[in-house]
Formats: sequence, structure tokens, C-alpha cells
Amino acid sequence: MARKKAGAALLGLLLVGAGARPPEDGSAAIKVRVVKGRTEAAVDLSDIFGPDRQREFGNGLDNVVEIYTSVVPAGGGPPASLHGRIVEILFDVWEETYAVSVKDPEHPAGRRLVLRDFAALRAFLSDQKGLDLGPVEALPDAFRVEVRVEVNPISREQLQRTREYIAAASGSRQSGSRSVLGAVASFLLREPNAGSDVHLLRSPPLTRAGIAPP
Amino acid sequence: MSARANPSPPATSAGAPAGLLSRLRGEAHVSRFELRIAAALVLAATLPLVGALVLADRVAAENLALGLDPRVVQRLQSVPALYGDLFQARKQLYAAQAQELARGLPRGAAAAAAYLAAALPHTPRLRRVTWTSADGAVLAEEEATRSRGEGEWRDVPARVELPGGGTLECVFAIEAQYFADLAESRDLAEGVKGLAALRSEIRRSYVRAFGALLVGWALAAAVLGIWLARRTTRRVSDLVTAVQRLAGGDLLVQVDPGSDADEVSGLARAFNEMVREVRESRDRIVYLEKISGWQEVARRLAHEIKNPLTPMQLAFQQLQARFEQGGAGHPAFGKLLGDVGEIVREEIGTLERLVNEFSGFAKLPDVRTEPADLADFLEEFLHQSPQLAAEAAVEVSRAPGPFPVALDRTLMRRVLANLCANAVEASRPGRAALHLAVAREPGRAVLTVADEGPGVDPSLRDRIFDPYFTTKAGTGTGLGLAIVKKIVLQHGGEIEVGDRPGGGAAFTLRFPLLPG
Repeated sequence: MARKKAGAALLGLLLVGAGARPPEDGSAAIKVRVVKGRTEAAVDLSDIFGPDRQREFGNGLDNVVEIYTSVVPAGGGPPASLHGRIVEILFDVWEETYAVSVKDPEHPAGRRLVLRDFAALRAFLSDQKGLDLGPVEALPDAFRVEVRVEVNPISREQLQRTREYIAAASGSRQSGSRSVLGAVASFLLREPNAGSDVHLLRSPPLTRAGIAPP
Repeated sequence: MSARANPSPPATSAGAPAGLLSRLRGEAHVSRFELRIAAALVLAATLPLVGALVLADRVAAENLALGLDPRVVQRLQSVPALYGDLFQARKQLYAAQAQELARGLPRGAAAAAAYLAAALPHTPRLRRVTWTSADGAVLAEEEATRSRGEGEWRDVPARVELPGGGTLECVFAIEAQYFADLAESRDLAEGVKGLAALRSEIRRSYVRAFGALLVGWALAAAVLGIWLARRTTRRVSDLVTAVQRLAGGDLLVQVDPGSDADEVSGLARAFNEMVREVRESRDRIVYLEKISGWQEVARRLAHEIKNPLTPMQLAFQQLQARFEQGGAGHPAFGKLLGDVGEIVREEIGTLERLVNEFSGFAKLPDVRTEPADLADFLEEFLHQSPQLAAEAAVEVSRAPGPFPVALDRTLMRRVLANLCANAVEASRPGRAALHLAVAREPGRAVLTVADEGPGVDPSLRDRIFDPYFTTKAGTGTGLGLAIVKKIVLQHGGEIEVGDRPGGGAAFTLRFPLLPG
């Protein structure tokens, strides 16, 4: 258990610290409340998912949005809790609707939605609610909530697909044979990365007593 | 070439890198020379890697730049949107056609059915049309009877709300291939999108892969090179070791030249030949020095024995003469004197023969050679020794070709006579069978004198050429073979005794061939 926690903390550190732009002020965007003894965050991402995203998300290709929310002690240290949500978006060019799949701890198998237009998609992406940050007792006395948003990161699936793509030599793909160079290059291509479209929002300092009065 | 290197050199301090290297080198039996050759090979194999890696980086970068041209990536990614435009246009077209049909739809069901049946053949891709009332009842429905054409099709409904209520639903057909193409295009675009996003990582992984493969190849080349080099360096190391042993006085050292026909093998053969010649020269010198000492002994013995023999003989003759003049009255004494005189004369005769042999051995003349053909000389010897044919069955074999050697004919006749006499003697009481042969070895002429006698005991072969060593009990002086060997050695040759195939002894004499 302790090992799992340490692993999660390390993952959180990596997720929060790596490759992001300087933190944006999330004082207005991030809301924290207590529901039935559990800490829940809600975040307004409308600045990130502006109208200019329509062309990107409506391109008929898979688009992925990963939202990681963490509770970081004010004095520093590993995150006290972490929540991850992965949203996959595919614009159906025949139906002209957005097929959305949402995976998070509450829906590990994925929750499917069909949104009729970009406005609906934007509204859905912008208003991220119910980000469960664990029991309120587990919160540090003073902390911040940080939200990291990655748009179209290089996911493990994409990395695997790319590895398979380069493992088969382009000239011999028809015959199904593999290129030695491509196979070795594929083997050496191991680490996914967050890409360049990464946003980090940070709440103002919060206290446990402030969000959950005794 | 067999490894005869000395064991590893002693290691120095265990912690020092030089000591460790030295110890490892010793444990692996790797010489400094081998290490240098191996290092040169590894360096030669790995140095080009640096340039190759730089080139690989450039090639990977340029290939990725060519394959992932942003315009191409952008166009590929826009393909699904193009399909979207196509689908939208189709849907608009079908909607417009449905609107057109709805506008002309008669009110009566029968008329509407006829109208729709007539419209079906004239409306492209229209497969079925259904007029439904506001309450959901089907008022008229017609379906195309003509073939759809090849390939798979997908039904696309277009609904028109009629002004008086109800719906006209037109089902059009669209090529299913569009959707398959769309899926494939999307898959391709996704792949290219991943490639573009991972461009720098892919480039790095290709360079690393190239480097890893090159390192693998270089290692394989280095291992092969080291193995090949070691075959040569090991032989050179063996030669060095052999030279060191030779310098230490080991004249029996030899190196295996191996089966290769290269310079190192030639060097090994030359080394072996040189060592053999040095050993033979040393043996020759040692033997001749020893013989020289024995000759001096023989000379002194002959002198010391010969001097009293004549007075002894004269004194006894005087005693015998005096008795014959006045001793007729003592017949018993006369008989005793006669018997003793017989013994004395016989023993003095023996001593004289011994003295003569010693003297002959001591005064053995120096060899004075002249060019001759060994085979011709053998025939000449047999011609001049007719008694040999009487004493033995002689068989002569001669290999083709001349056998030019430097011979002292007189002394060599003595050699042959001695060896033949020994052979005849060894074969007694039977008639001797003599096998004389002349053959050729590289750089040498070989004369063999063999018999079918009992042979020479291998344990005696080392001593058989020593002076005064004889196997003839009571009859030999042990000087014959010593004289033979001395004469042969003075000719620059060598002699050895062995077994004749088929039984008997074989004396082999080797003489250096004269050039030309």
C-alpha cells in the first residue's frame, strides 16, 4: 500500500512538474468543496478550450484531453491525492456529432457520450466537475489544488501504434516482414511524452479548515 | 603453430590497472603483440562508426523531413474533413431530391404510389421511398427493383416533413467504400500524426538503433579480426618463446609451422631448420672433440703397448733358440716351452693387431673431399669389392637424378667397407642380405646400408658410435663405427642407426648436396 502511495506520489510529481508551461492563475477557475466527506474539485477550462479548438477537435481524428488534478501540500512535497480523467473525442464526419469517451476512477471502463455540436463539446470540456480528491481528512492542513491539462499528449497507445508503424519497414509492409533497423528503432522508442499543448492551473492556497469547517 | 609460450607473467599490485591488465593478459595467454593487433583492429572497426553515426543522424533527419513534410501531414489530417464535406454534400443532395419528390407528391395514396414508382428509376441512388401519415401509417411505399451495382452500399435516409403532416422518407444508397476509405485514411492520418509528434524521438531512436547495429557489426568484425590476427600473432609469439628457449640453450626446441603457406610458417620452418643445423653442428663438434680425445688415448696406448712388444718377442725367440741349442735332455720342458711359445706368439699377435688398429684410429687422416656423385660412388665401391658379392646377396636401389656431394673416396670406401662388414658379420652364420640405397631428401643425399640381421637394440643405439664400445664379444675393438661416424661427420654429414622395415638394422648416412 505504502509502495502504491509512493508510486502515485512520484507519478503525480512527474505529471505536475514535467513539460508544463508556467502555472496559470487558477484562483477563479478552480473550485473546491466537500461532498459527503470527500473533497471534490471543479475546474473551468473554458480559457483552454476556446472556440478556436473547433477545427482541431472536428478534424475527424482521435483527440485526447487528459486532466490531472492533484492536492499539493503548501509546504511542498509529493501530492496528497491525485485524480486523473482522460477524455477521448472523435468527430463523426457522417453523423456530424462528437463521440466522447470519458475514463476516470469513477468510470474505469469509460463513459460514452454523443454531443451534437462543438458548443456542446466545449461546454463539456470546459466544465469539469466531480474531480474526486479523496476523503477530506486526508487533506493537508494547507494546500493548493493543481490542475494539469494535456491536449493530445503522446499516449502509450499512440506510442505503441507508432512503434508498430516504424517496426515494419515501409517497403516490406505488404509482405509482412520486419526491418531489423526499424525493429531496433521501435524497441528503443519507449517513452511517451506530454507533447506541447500542456496547461497548468494552480489554485490559491487553501486550508482544510477553510473548505470543511468543523 | 602449437602454443609453447611460457606461463603468464607474475601480476604486480592487485589494485593497479596495469597489474590487472597484465594479470588478465596472462590469464588469457595474450601477448603484448596480440593485444596491439587486437586494439588496432577494434580501433579500425569502431572509428568509422563516429562518421557513420553522424551520417545516420543526417539521413534519419532528412528522411523524416521528407516523409513528414508538414504540408503532407496537414493534408493527410484534413482527409477526414474532406470526407465530411463529401458526406455533407451527399446529404444535402439527397435532402434536395427528397424535397423535390415531396413537392410533387399527389394527395391520393394510389396516385402517390404511382408517382413514387415512376420517380424511383429517375432518381439516382434512391432505393426506397415511404410516405407515412402523421399517425405513423404507411400510405405509400415503393422500392427500386434495379440492381444497386457492384460493391457494398449503405442506406442513407432523408426525411421530409410534409406540410399537411406526415413524413416522406427517402432511402438513398451510398457507397460503403467511402466509410472504409474514411476509416483507413483516419488510421493513416493518426499514424502520421503520431510520427510527426514523435519526430525527434523517432530520429533519436533510429540513430541509436543504427549505432547499436553498427556496434554489433563492429564487435562481430573485431572478434573475427582478433581471431584471425591471433592465429598469426600466436605463431609469432610461439616463435619468440622458441627463440628465448634456444637462447637459453635448448637445442631441441621446435615450432609447429602449421599448414598455412604464409611468411610466418616459412619463418617457423627456417627456424626449425636453423635449430636442427645448430644442434647437428654442436653434436658434430662435441663428437669430433670426443673422438679426438680418444684418438690421443689410442695413440698413447699404441705407443706404450707397441714399445715392449718387440723386446718381449725377441726375448722369447732368444729363449727358445737357446733351449733348442742345448735343452734336448729336457723333453718335458721343451714341450712346455713350445706350448707357452704358441700362446705368447698368439697374444703378441693379438696385441700387435690391437696396436695397429689403435694406431690406425689415432692416425686417421683428415678428410679431403672432391665432387662426386654418391650413387656413382656406390656402384664404383661395389665394382671394386667383388668379395662382397661372394659374402652377401647385395641389392642396390637408386633414386632418379644426380646426387652431387663432396666425398673423400678413400675414406668413404672405408666407411662402406666397415658398414658392409658389420652387416655380413651380423648376419652370420647365415648368408647376409645387403640392401644399399641412394635417395634424396631436401638438400641432402641419403645413403642407406641395411641388412636382414637381428638389428641393433634400441637401448644401445646412443652408444653404438662411441669408441671402444662393441657388441662383438672378444673380437671387436669398438673402433669401426666410431671411425665411420667421424669420417661421415667430417664430410658435413650425419649418420644414424635404425630398423629396416621388414627386419634388420639400417644405417642411414646423409650428406649435403652440392649446389647445381
